[in-house]
Amino acid sequence: MNDAVEILLVEDDPRDVQLTLRALQAENVQNQIEVARDGEEALDFLFRRGIHSGRSPDHPPKLVLLDLKLPKVDGLQVLKEIKASPECHAIPVVILTSSGEQRDLVESYKLGVNSYIQKPVDIAQFRQTIKTLGLYWLVVNRPPPNKTFHEGPREPGL
Amino acid sequence: MKDTSYHLTIALVVCAVVGVEGLQAQDPKPTEYQVKAVYLYNFGRFVTWPVRATAGDEPFGVCVLGQDPFGPILDAAVAGETIDRAHVVVRRLAKPQEAASCRVLFISSSQNDDLKEILIALDKQSVLTVSDMPQFVRRGGMIQFLLDGNRVRFEVNLAAAGRAGLNLSSEVLRLATNVRRTP
Amino acid sequence: MLKLRDYSITKKLTWMNMLVSGAALLLACAAFVVYELTTFRAAMLRNLSTQAQIVGANSVSALLFHDPQAAENTLSALRAAPAILFGGVYAKDGRPLAMYWRDRGGPALPLPAIPAGQMETHWFTDQELILVRSILFQDKLTGMVYIRSDLREMTNRLTRYASIVAGVFLVSLFAALLVSSIFRRIAAQPIVRLAEIARIVSREKKYSVRAPATGNRDEIAVLIDAFNEMLAQIQARDGALETARVELEERVQQRTAELEAMNKELEAFTYSVAHDLRAPLRHIQGFSDALVEDYGPRLDAAGKGILQEIADSTQFMGRLIGDLLALAHVGRQEPQLQLAGLHSLAQEVLRDLKHETDGRNIEWRVGGLPFVDCDPGLMKQVFYNLLSNAAKYTRPRNPAIIEIGSTSVNGRGAIFVRDNGVGFNMKYSDKLFGVFQRLHRREDFEGTGVGLATVQRIIHKHGGQIWAEAEIEKGATFFFTLETLETKAPQEETRTFALKGEHG
Repeated sequence: MNDAVEILLVEDDPRDVQLTLRALQAENVQNQIEVARDGEEALDFLFRRGIHSGRSPDHPPKLVLLDLKLPKVDGLQVLKEIKASPECHAIPVVILTSSGEQRDLVESYKLGVNSYIQKPVDIAQFRQTIKTLGLYWLVVNRPPPNKTFHEGPREPGL
Repeated sequence: MKDTSYHLTIALVVCAVVGVEGLQAQDPKPTEYQVKAVYLYNFGRFVTWPVRATAGDEPFGVCVLGQDPFGPILDAAVAGETIDRAHVVVRRLAKPQEAASCRVLFISSSQNDDLKEILIALDKQSVLTVSDMPQFVRRGGMIQFLLDGNRVRFEVNLAAAGRAGLNLSSEVLRLATNVRRTP
Repeated sequence: MLKLRDYSITKKLTWMNMLVSGAALLLACAAFVVYELTTFRAAMLRNLSTQAQIVGANSVSALLFHDPQAAENTLSALRAAPAILFGGVYAKDGRPLAMYWRDRGGPALPLPAIPAGQMETHWFTDQELILVRSILFQDKLTGMVYIRSDLREMTNRLTRYASIVAGVFLVSLFAALLVSSIFRRIAAQPIVRLAEIARIVSREKKYSVRAPATGNRDEIAVLIDAFNEMLAQIQARDGALETARVELEERVQQRTAELEAMNKELEAFTYSVAHDLRAPLRHIQGFSDALVEDYGPRLDAAGKGILQEIADSTQFMGRLIGDLLALAHVGRQEPQLQLAGLHSLAQEVLRDLKHETDGRNIEWRVGGLPFVDCDPGLMKQVFYNLLSNAAKYTRPRNPAIIEIGSTSVNGRGAIFVRDNGVGFNMKYSDKLFGVFQRLHRREDFEGTGVGLATVQRIIHKHGGQIWAEAEIEKGATFFFTLETLETKAPQEETRTFALKGEHG
């Protein structure tokens, strides 16, 4: 397990995983991508628990692509925990879901999500969206420096 | 010639006037004796005689004793009249003894001097005595004609009538100017 | 002036009573008076005749002996009879003998003649009774008596009778009134009360009142009983009706709730199904693209063609699912009403359509569109669907003319979208708004058949109606109304159209 993970993709559908990976790779977004198949795995990875307990704390992922409907622990719960914890809350989380539900949107932003994307039905659009995403968050956006993770949030609770 | 015709004319005129006057006198106003004549027999209507046997057809005699002042007037007055269904006839008597068939007897004033005897002679006969001689009722006569102005009136001696058995109706009595009840 | 037949029963009865009594009384009195007067006349005549006889009898001697004084005395006895105006004794030749005048001295009046064969003659003038009688004495005509009497006695009698009649009349009428009031209580009162109750019932629609029973057994009692019975029946029926109505409403509510629940279920189902179909669709598309990308060069044209078909099909399926989701989405939410300008919405949609219609010669005519209370997002969708449809079906036209504006239909305000495109056959117009129903072949004009269904759903949610009129090859016009639109049309368009049945 290489510690320099750039993107954590949390997605339970294997085909969606495959297509997303293809999209990311096809657009030459050279990234180390870690895939978590459910919420528990995602949290284990981020909080270096379980099988990921050996991971170095110095390399948090630059982006978390989070699906909402996940087994074991669902996406909103994962988001909540990420944004509530001092060590992980600065990590940019982009929800990538097929749900267009208003309440998911509201909840997500309440919990402090950085961006909410609804998966396009059309495959071409899907690829374009993924490309844009990757480009933006990994290239255009400046990721939070490591210092952020040690000091924690200024305001308690989000 | 002229004188004769002139006189004749005058006479004719006078006669005519007199004649007219006479005519006039006759129609509107009855003469004294016309009235008396009517009264005379009318008295008969208001007198009741005593019952005596009479034949049914016996006429009602109205007699005149003495000089007849009525003349044809009386005849004319009684013509056609009936009293009690008896014809009224007029008789002229020479003497009172003939008064047997008389009901009413007019004693002319010519008999003025003989009145006493006449009345005695009539004493037994129920005859109504009427006269216009003066003092008639005083002297025993029953009805006396009077002249009151133009009007013919009469006085009644009820006692005399009573003696003769005659009853006079009050109807006629009230018309009398005087009624003597004492003899 | 009230007509007699409109008087109240009480008044009628009273009048009837009075009239009957009055008539009977009048007849009786009239008969009585007439009888009295005639007999009185006869009596008066007899009286006068007797007096004439007496005078005559007493005047015989006066006549015979021409004694006017005596005759006058006899006549003066007439003073005892105050009614006698004049009395005269005449000789048989008609010449007057003596006179009596009651009031003033006067000349002897000329003697009227007695008809032959009669003892006496008399007649009544309107002022006097005049009598002439022959005086007979011992069966002979001696003279005549002529008497004139005034009719004061008769007049007095008449007056007295009149006053008695009047008095009796008034008393009788009074008695009639009395009787009337008694009768009123027995007969008219119940009727009047019944009428009152009937009026109350019909005016206030209170069927719980009842007319009071009278305790009699006459027709009025029958009427009252029947009336009450009727009211009871009406009440019962009303009650039953009310119960049925309540029941019905309950059932309707129940059914409506059931239907709503079913609807919601259906929509939820549609939504979830459509939603769940998206992922597999995306996968099919993704992997067939992957196939093309990775193994494209190794495929021949036929192979590529097959893959293209797959790609097209999945693309179409995607659109179908998208449209279905949109339709279900509209059904699930209530429109959020706010005041929005339809004109600006339309302009936005036209901008959105610009890239779709790029390169085409389209004449857009936008008329006056009002501000209405609506859900702007949903209304935008309506415009989008209708305008993109118009654009689609005018593709063969050059120029394509697409109008949008407001008008008045049967007094209600409406919005219309008109195009000069290929139109459709009105025979199939009832299929227009059905889900998946299309009136054109897919190879001629693409479409999912969901767009108009969505528009109709949105319009119905706004309490409006939508319908269309078209002619093949001439074009189509879509009209819709909204509950919140004004009933009078705005300035631009004021044409009235006849509705061809209810569409939508």
